[in-house]
Amino acid sequence: MTRSFLLATGVLLPASLLAILIALAYGSVAIPAGDLIAVIQGEGSRLHSTLVLELRLPRALAAFAAGGLLGVAGALMQVLLRNPLADPYVLGLSGGASVGALLAMLAGLSMFSVSVAAFTGALLSTVIVFGLAHGTGSWTPTRLLLTGVVVAAGWGAVISFLLAVSPTAELPGMLYWLMGDVSHARNPYPAWGVLVLVVLLALPLGRTLNVLARGPMQAAALGVAVRPVEWTIYVAAALITATAVMQVGAVGFVGLIVPHMLRLVFGNDQRVILPASALGGGILLTLADTLARTMIAPEQLPVGVITAMLGVPVFLFLLYRSR
Amino acid sequence: MTFKVFHRHLTFLVATLLCTAPALAEPVTVTDDDDREVTLDRPAERIVSLAPHITEVLFAVGAGDKLVGVTQHSDFPPEAEMIPRVGGYSRIDLERVVEMDPDLVVAWRSGNSSSQIERLRDLGMNVYVSEPRSFEGVASSMRRMAQLAGTEERGEAAIQAFLDEIETLRLDYADRDPVPLFYQVWEQPLMTVNDDHLIGEAIRLCGGKNVFGHLDRLVPRMDREAVIEADPEVIIGGGMGEDRPDWVIAWEQWEDMTAVQRDNLFFIPPSLLQRHTPRIAEGTRLMCEELERARQRRAD
Amino acid sequence: MPPHTADPQRHGDPHASSTESVHEAPGPDTLLATHDLVIDIPERASGSPIELTINPGQCWGILGPNGAGKSTLLHTLAGLRAARTGEIHVQGRSLPEYSRARLARELGLVFQKHHDGFPATVLETALIGRHPYLRPWDIETAEDYAQARAALARMDLAELEHRLVDTLSGGERQRLAIATVLTQNPRLLLLDEPTSQLDLHHQIAVLDHIRRIARGDRAAILVLHDVNLAVRYCDHLLLMFPDGKACWGPTRTMLVPSALERLYNQPLGVGEIDGYPVFMPRPD
Repeated sequence: MTRSFLLATGVLLPASLLAILIALAYGSVAIPAGDLIAVIQGEGSRLHSTLVLELRLPRALAAFAAGGLLGVAGALMQVLLRNPLADPYVLGLSGGASVGALLAMLAGLSMFSVSVAAFTGALLSTVIVFGLAHGTGSWTPTRLLLTGVVVAAGWGAVISFLLAVSPTAELPGMLYWLMGDVSHARNPYPAWGVLVLVVLLALPLGRTLNVLARGPMQAAALGVAVRPVEWTIYVAAALITATAVMQVGAVGFVGLIVPHMLRLVFGNDQRVILPASALGGGILLTLADTLARTMIAPEQLPVGVITAMLGVPVFLFLLYRSR
Repeated sequence: MTFKVFHRHLTFLVATLLCTAPALAEPVTVTDDDDREVTLDRPAERIVSLAPHITEVLFAVGAGDKLVGVTQHSDFPPEAEMIPRVGGYSRIDLERVVEMDPDLVVAWRSGNSSSQIERLRDLGMNVYVSEPRSFEGVASSMRRMAQLAGTEERGEAAIQAFLDEIETLRLDYADRDPVPLFYQVWEQPLMTVNDDHLIGEAIRLCGGKNVFGHLDRLVPRMDREAVIEADPEVIIGGGMGEDRPDWVIAWEQWEDMTAVQRDNLFFIPPSLLQRHTPRIAEGTRLMCEELERARQRRAD
Repeated sequence: MPPHTADPQRHGDPHASSTESVHEAPGPDTLLATHDLVIDIPERASGSPIELTINPGQCWGILGPNGAGKSTLLHTLAGLRAARTGEIHVQGRSLPEYSRARLARELGLVFQKHHDGFPATVLETALIGRHPYLRPWDIETAEDYAQARAALARMDLAELEHRLVDTLSGGERQRLAIATVLTQNPRLLLLDEPTSQLDLHHQIAVLDHIRRIARGDRAAILVLHDVNLAVRYCDHLLLMFPDGKACWGPTRTMLVPSALERLYNQPLGVGEIDGYPVFMPRPD
């Protein structure tokens, strides 16, 4: 375990820095490498400093934090359901968070209240999905996953309804909840706070999750208090998802792809996979957003388009290989 | 030269004479459609427009040559096509805007993302937010943009021409026999406007009666059945492009509708009615003329 | 098979459906005792209360047809399912007094089916047996690894420690599950069909080892389908009938052919090898 942990952090930490550096270096305005270094040393021109430090840096940090959160949320849900297809988007947590946030925005509430509403929506989704799947006593991951898919579809309909009845003037600020877009990201630091907190919590919980991955009965027989741990994960996943959705809207494929890929390389010890998913998700979304900003600049793409374009083929490939 | 303009020149002359140093440009302050005061130390020289209709208005008030950046689809007047782009209005390329180093950014409240507008303000830019909702609003928008750009003179002329045209149409048509009318903004989903919309104002001005004017939403989505039941005398539609009246033609399959029987299906290029610019006067004139044609067909 | 060291106890009468089974009273060393225990099987209206006393050194076999509730009983004893009525005491304390982690150090369970949510190596899988002994921030020590490797070696899996579990054969996976519970090293082993999918050699190797463990201060409860293996390796038997009746007692007292025939609804022939009765199914 220690070896793969060191390997994972040894590879992913430098890769994370590189990803952020790439996000700083590329944009629709070309900045030569020398000027970029000058900016980092605090000696750049005013224009370059503004571009790099006030536009690209906060945006890269927002993308990284949101991607990391989505990666961790996906990894957590997959362990809980013992199903690599699980992800906060698939299970309707993102949808619940979006609906909560949209309602709060339509009611004209403050940004803080919007965040609370997003968390409430994600948590409500959790309760509905888990409650329904538990309703008749026993439940299987398949049943849970199906419930999640249906609830997610329901949230999708609610979002479409809200968009249909909202004043046209509000639409541009709302559409991104559906596709995911970093260009609307606000202050990234709360998301970073949640990310660091979650990784610190995930590390001591990691071994328990390893046991839980063998099924709730086996886990209980090995001394895991299954129900409290499951609820902890659900509440944590709701918090994580809501935080990510507040940053970038509903970006779907990060939580699905990142843990999957990392498992292929680093094995399946959650104490390695959870922090690795945080870094891997951050790297993926940072790079994807850099592409979204530059690919057809000055036109800007929503990052959800890029993650879907990267995610769908990778996912299908993984599915094909796992036959 | 009108007396007003003469008077202003006189004031300026006096001011110049009173100052020992050469006159410096004075600060300009206007209130935008978000009720924020926008103050420029001197009239703007480098302007970025964040919507096609704003580009158009700035050209109309004589500030076109001060535009350094515009959004995609800023296609009127033709000179606008030469100006560098800053992305689509719903997702602005902020880097390009910063690179252009504008002293004024004119934003569109119902089109641009509020968080991006906020971001521009955070970066220390002067942002004027525009959201005209009426003919008076269009005129006042033009006036304020002209003030910010320091082109009041050209602006005032354009505003006067615009208001004169509107007033002429009002006098000519507003009190004629009402014509029940359906205005189609979009095909899928089928959308119209209510009386509060600027197009609703244009309809009233032409002596038309919007059959869905009483609805609550500014741009309601409609069920085709409701339109057939309302049986308007005239159907006017925009379209995907400037010369594609397909949407209007599509109504011909409902042969029992009065509008179809009398061939009162009219196409007006959407850029003339759906963009809040002085060109809406031109679109309104077209609408008034079509309604008049419909009135004449009643006799036949 | 060793002679019974326990006090003579009245055994249930296998002919009458055993409600009269009277059990040995729990002593200070008793590992597990049940009082008035009725397991909860939804479709079953009633069942005879089970009174078990499992002492160190004992190896119990549970026999019964499919659906009699053998696995449900094991899960109930391990606290994974609620009983319909009755109490379970582990080393003198009632089950609800235990935290799951504490209980997992006293009582280990091998399931009939093994779920591997995600691919893990054989060694990693055996190592989760150490989970009940580690605190949240602990990382497995060399000592933990040594125990896991020893358990793997016991189960002939030493060579496979780096293999992924999803590449194992059914028998190998079964032995790995047993190696995991050996790593867990509880005082009471509950094993649900430990010999299923094993070849003959490994069936005997596994049962020999369990028997050896259960000889000292530990005990084991095995759900078995092979009556003859149960006769050879278990000193006590619990027979579970499909209608919810049960009877139990020292093995020799339970081997009444007519009772076994009724248990399985299958005519049996009886022979003898090495002094043990051997039961062979007879076609109708």
